[in-house]
Amino acid sequence: MTDETLDAPMVRDKQTSWFKRLLKRLEPTLWVFASLSIFVGFWEFAWWRGWANPLLLPPPHIFLANLTDQFRFFDPGGTRAGALATGGSIFSVLGVIAWSSFRVTAGLVLGFTLSLAIGIGIRYFKIFGKLMLPLVTMLAPISPVAWLPVAVFIFGIGNPPAIFLVFIAIFFIMTLATLSQIDNVPAHYIQLARIMGCNKRQIYRHVILPAILPELFVTLRMNLFAAWMVVLIAEAVGVGSGLGQVTMMARNTFNASLVFFTMTLIGITGFAFDQALRYVQRKVLWWVGPSSVGGL
Amino acid sequence: MTLGLKITNVSKTWNPDGPEPVPAVRNLTLDVALGEFVVLLGPSGCGKSSLLYIVAGLEDATEGSVTFDGLDVTEPSPERSLIFQEAALYPWLTVRDNITFGLKIAGQTYKKQKDAAERLLRLVGLVGAGDKRPHELSGGMRQRAALARALAMKPKVLLMDEPFAALDIQTRARMQGHLLNIWESSKASVLLVTHSIEEALALADRVVVFTARPGQIKAEIPISAPRPRDMRSPEMIHLAIQCEALLAEEVEKSFKEQEQELA
Repeated sequence: MTDETLDAPMVRDKQTSWFKRLLKRLEPTLWVFASLSIFVGFWEFAWWRGWANPLLLPPPHIFLANLTDQFRFFDPGGTRAGALATGGSIFSVLGVIAWSSFRVTAGLVLGFTLSLAIGIGIRYFKIFGKLMLPLVTMLAPISPVAWLPVAVFIFGIGNPPAIFLVFIAIFFIMTLATLSQIDNVPAHYIQLARIMGCNKRQIYRHVILPAILPELFVTLRMNLFAAWMVVLIAEAVGVGSGLGQVTMMARNTFNASLVFFTMTLIGITGFAFDQALRYVQRKVLWWVGPSSVGGL
Repeated sequence: MTLGLKITNVSKTWNPDGPEPVPAVRNLTLDVALGEFVVLLGPSGCGKSSLLYIVAGLEDATEGSVTFDGLDVTEPSPERSLIFQEAALYPWLTVRDNITFGLKIAGQTYKKQKDAAERLLRLVGLVGAGDKRPHELSGGMRQRAALARALAMKPKVLLMDEPFAALDIQTRARMQGHLLNIWESSKASVLLVTHSIEEALALADRVVVFTARPGQIKAEIPISAPRPRDMRSPEMIHLAIQCEALLAEEVEKSFKEQEQELA
């Protein structure tokens, strides 16, 4: 009896801490839902009050109601005209998302590695730097959209122009970011490497590269959304498949429900991409302070 | 050929061709014998650090020459290791990998690196911290790891730029004791820069008092008292008062100069 009375509060303590831990785990997800609910709530309210025309601004409960009806319009091949498209299942939707994701990923990987290589090259080889830097700085402010015709002239229709556009969207910015990161490597890091007997190549390989990677990855993450915007434009114009093509087709056929459904998919995919990059950053480039990894 | 460090008539001017050249060190001559512990004491911004960077080979002297064991100092070398006020450990490496960084660059085998790391971790009192990341260590531990990294290269002279200035007083006293032990066992020379009189008196074979900028030698005070030294002994108090008087003059001068610059 005495044992029980002594043990009871401890057990309860354990339970609350278990519950608290679960709550803590779920907290970020709960906030995501809360954040979404506010937005959806206003929209549904506007529809309920009759402020939003359901044909032009169909709220989520309408455009998410008949999913199979929406799925019809998704075709990973993307060759059929929208209104005539038949069939389509959840797999064809995933296929379309996969194609867009592939183009973004390919463009990001190409852009990140090449901008890193060119950025380091500019600082490592003096003459190369003097020749490249003005060019990069002049090309940087040109919008990727302006590159769209160029992409089509060079690569025709298909995946290459979309990948090229994503590449262009991040390449110049990332090259300039690489330069500024190299210039901001603490002087002590380099002085120390010189004392330890590093030659120039070793300083770049063992000190400058690891010192700049984490911040560059943050820059890459910030430009992820720009990459997504660009790939949709490319798909709408120069590819003929992917989420961008579906959006464009929905616009042309005046299918507002499909527009919002596709926008939802784009939002979710972009969010997932950001989460994936954060994960990579935490696991591979762990020496970034928690402040720059934090957030969601 | 003279062993040890020989600084002859060295002057350093920062930005010599610019509109406002800054003279940091003027016509300075100083020898550090093999195994000697020399402390440079002076007001902040008097060019002590500039001198260390020149000796390390990271900066060129504008005039004069620096030789080490009879050879001209033209570039950095692990023989003349420099320790900064912040440990400057690489955050992407573990403590162990930081310590063996120089050995890895020198192409030593993994086995040798590992053995050296264990020996050095024990020497500086960081056993068990080898797999930790630098940000997991306290300031004092980080500075000890930096010391181990320098010692891994078996330096002939340790150049230390206010190495304990960022630490709290208790940690600082412990670190000074630590440094003395390591210095005695390693037989390296030490050239340490500080603005703390107490630190200078606790450590040095010889205290070199600097003038305000541009740095020149104002006085040299040899201290023969055995270590560890009791700072409350009459001899030490006498030396401290002497140093204080010398420094006070220079601090006064550099304040006046700054006021003139602003006016």
